[in-house]
Amino acid sequence: MGFFSPWFLAGLAGAALPVYLHLLKRQTRLPKQVSSLMLFESRTQASTRHRRLRYFLLLSLRLAVLLLLILAFANPFVNRAAANLSSSRITVLAVDNSFSMRAGTRLADAKDAAMRTLSGLGGSRAQVAAFGSGMQLLTQPIQNQAALRVAVQSIEPGDGHGNFGELARAMRAMSEAVRTPIELHFFTDAQRSSLAPNFSDMAMPANVKLTVHQVVKKAEPNWTVESVDAPGQVWGKDLKPVRVQAVIAGYGAPAAMRSVSLVVNGKSVGSKSVAVPANGKATVEFPNLVAPYGFNRCEVRIDAADGFAADDVRRFAVNRSDPQKALLVHNYGDRRSPVYVTAALSAAAQSAFSLESIDVNEAADRQPSNYAFVILSDLNNPTALLINSLTQYVRAGGSVLIAAGSSAGARTDIPLFGARILDARDYTRSPNRFASVGSSDSSYGAVAKAEGWAGVKFFYALNVDPGDARIIVRLGDQTPLLLEKRLGEGRILLFTSGLDNLTNDFPLQPAFVPFIEQTARYLAGSERQGGGRPVGAYLDLRSAREQGQTVEVTDPEGKHPLSLKEASTAQSFQLSEAGYYQVRLANGRQNLVGVNADPKESNLDVIPDDVVSLWMGDRGQGGPATAPASGAPAPKQPQSIWWYVMLALFLAALAESALASRYLGTQREE
Amino acid sequence: MQQRFLKPATLAAISGLELVAKTVVDGFVAGLHRSPDFGFSQEFAEYSIYNPGDDLRHVDWNVYARTERMFLKRYRGETNSPLTILLDASNSMQFGSHAVNKMDYSRFLAASLFYLAIHGQRDAAGLITFDDEIRNYIRPSTRQGQLHRLLAGLEQAEARARTDFAKPMRYFREFLKRRGIVIVVSDFWEPPESVVRTIEPLRYHGNEVVLFHVLDPEDVRPTLNGPSILVDLETKDEMEVTPDFAKTEYRGKIEAHLQDLQDRAQGAGMGYCRLITDRPLDDALREYLTLRGGRN
Repeated sequence: MGFFSPWFLAGLAGAALPVYLHLLKRQTRLPKQVSSLMLFESRTQASTRHRRLRYFLLLSLRLAVLLLLILAFANPFVNRAAANLSSSRITVLAVDNSFSMRAGTRLADAKDAAMRTLSGLGGSRAQVAAFGSGMQLLTQPIQNQAALRVAVQSIEPGDGHGNFGELARAMRAMSEAVRTPIELHFFTDAQRSSLAPNFSDMAMPANVKLTVHQVVKKAEPNWTVESVDAPGQVWGKDLKPVRVQAVIAGYGAPAAMRSVSLVVNGKSVGSKSVAVPANGKATVEFPNLVAPYGFNRCEVRIDAADGFAADDVRRFAVNRSDPQKALLVHNYGDRRSPVYVTAALSAAAQSAFSLESIDVNEAADRQPSNYAFVILSDLNNPTALLINSLTQYVRAGGSVLIAAGSSAGARTDIPLFGARILDARDYTRSPNRFASVGSSDSSYGAVAKAEGWAGVKFFYALNVDPGDARIIVRLGDQTPLLLEKRLGEGRILLFTSGLDNLTNDFPLQPAFVPFIEQTARYLAGSERQGGGRPVGAYLDLRSAREQGQTVEVTDPEGKHPLSLKEASTAQSFQLSEAGYYQVRLANGRQNLVGVNADPKESNLDVIPDDVVSLWMGDRGQGGPATAPASGAPAPKQPQSIWWYVMLALFLAALAESALASRYLGTQREE
Repeated sequence: MQQRFLKPATLAAISGLELVAKTVVDGFVAGLHRSPDFGFSQEFAEYSIYNPGDDLRHVDWNVYARTERMFLKRYRGETNSPLTILLDASNSMQFGSHAVNKMDYSRFLAASLFYLAIHGQRDAAGLITFDDEIRNYIRPSTRQGQLHRLLAGLEQAEARARTDFAKPMRYFREFLKRRGIVIVVSDFWEPPESVVRTIEPLRYHGNEVVLFHVLDPEDVRPTLNGPSILVDLETKDEMEVTPDFAKTEYRGKIEAHLQDLQDRAQGAGMGYCRLITDRPLDDALREYLTLRGGRN
């Protein structure tokens, strides 16, 4: 007998408590006042009685309750011969159905091996599971061979990426739940890329015996389309061509020429040959993807020259739409900022946006919701009507860029953004005559692509109290220059200088164009359209404000995986299959997403035998899992007796309650 | 049955002894039937022959003018029965197992009797508080404001020291030369023969003496959850007592003690009334009015 958690035995010291209560506590009596002792007589109990264990049975029961509780925490076990445990043993048959099992006849071989193992089990309890990106139990532990066979046969190839660490985690959870010996038979292609980063993560619990059935013993050459780089969204009526770049990789493969095709909506629009070096990668570029209006199902294919055809294609979606309208509201008389912003947008954003510039006096009759985003430039005194309509617009999901300029210096706060203006910094009076960018958040696209705004001179900026806003760029004196704040479902960017060339020379610098382009895309939300995602990724379906609006998801097989309830409540959706997902979001926008299997699944290199042996033998107590030699004593396995201890504890507690109420109950008046 | 008498715990929530007394007495009087023994008015009763020494103020001079014989005119409710309450203010009186201890109960009792005597019977009333000494003495009087003086005396009575009837008794006799009703309110934690022997001389001047024996329920039926150390409130002596003793032997002894005191008091011509502090005050008031009626 032993203990799984022996350190809990330290709690035995607590057994002194009942003894103290019975022996010592009872000796102390609180004095009680009476009117007179005239009629009382002293009745002292014999001192020897005090020292005796009063209510010996009750004390024994209390000690038993305490000891059993400590034992239960210490989790005792007894070593029993494995043969004796066969009646309670569970055999788990896990069949790997990750994406790599689509290669050749791997899945069929694995299922055949599982059927053979099932035949040898006799009448013992077994459970069937499929293991792709996670463990999926297909049956309960049952003895019905027919049902188990049906479950094995029903396993379909999946598109997930296997991780053997996840298998070990699932088995640890199962062993905690059942607490009986588990014999795990794992039928897999033992892909090297499925190994957990730390080998210890794959360690099985003590009561799990792992047997790996490898259906593939050696690596097979394989070519695949590893990645595709293409925009998810393009704009314009002139059907400007789109550049597509694909990376072709060979795993365990010799140098070879591969034919690569670009397919749009099922029609091949281009084909190229590329020389893929041995165990290397090659890049192929299609400069003229002509995508018609709407969502386009695009894919890059290579000729099927290996046994793994499923990874010879990589899907992506491209959406072409009309340019979106954007609104620039500027001060009356300000001619500079419309010129610079319009020029920057038309130069960089592939005519994605058509900018409408108006002065603040014309803004009253504009409906912000008709625009993808709004820019407020250097507004001295915007009307309350404009601020109110913009606030509602942002709360409903719109986006606004505010360029404070020099006019806002007369105000105490930034309208709409809500930041308090601390002071105005005029750098022309400083020794350097200007200020430069001190620090910037490189994870922010609008800044990263503009190379951190190096060399831009700022002559004037407002120093604002950022509050809860995120500061993206600071000047050298720590003055916040670019800030972002979320309001409702929308976002507001604050540029504390101006978009003209009076308060800075930013519009004259090369960094201005990518800044305006990326900011426009960010504010319009177009970076979330189209493109490709990996299997297992999550797709945002709604924001909190849109609760109740139904969404619609159509999977690659044309089915609707969301129930009616899920369609009205789900915040996100996991892309579990490779193919094209068509989505109608809660805000009414349509989206098409190409989903591809993890490229790591294309590397068919297998785990070496010694590593597999080490994995099977790693059960906490060391030693590989080898079958016992004939005639040797049967191996013993620890069996937890936790439940028996808990049962005894329950009975002892019941008896203690009954006795305690009898002995120590309130004395009743006759 | 409608309950006319408030429980002591309820009285404890009433602030002011006068209000307590009024509440108790009004409730009590409202429930009485009209009885010739309890007339409160200056109602003519009879003529009696004048004897030398009688008060000339009571002579009916009209009758003398007509008959040349002197008659005394007697009225109901005009008896001369000053009430004096001897209140035990020893430490044992502050014992209480519930909201009202014995001292509070005794205050309510005395206040109610004073109110009944002064407002109802128009008798003089006085108070003596004592423990092992006389702590306060308010002479019986019918003067204006006497009730308030008495109630103030009750308010000031604090339980302290221990009871000793013998020591202050000689002063009682000096104070109580005028015949009337003497009520001794105490828990009488002394041997009955000593109590009766000490108090009995008060009767020698023609006083009606009543012992109001105030007891807490725990005095009669103590409950102990285990062997306990009991502390005497007056002497501070300690004694270890077992629950078995408290449940059996003690109850027998207290019953015998109470019965002995009652027998000896009644044998000596004194009234005896046992009052438990969780019961209403009506027993005490009835006892007083019975006495008062008997003296008409």
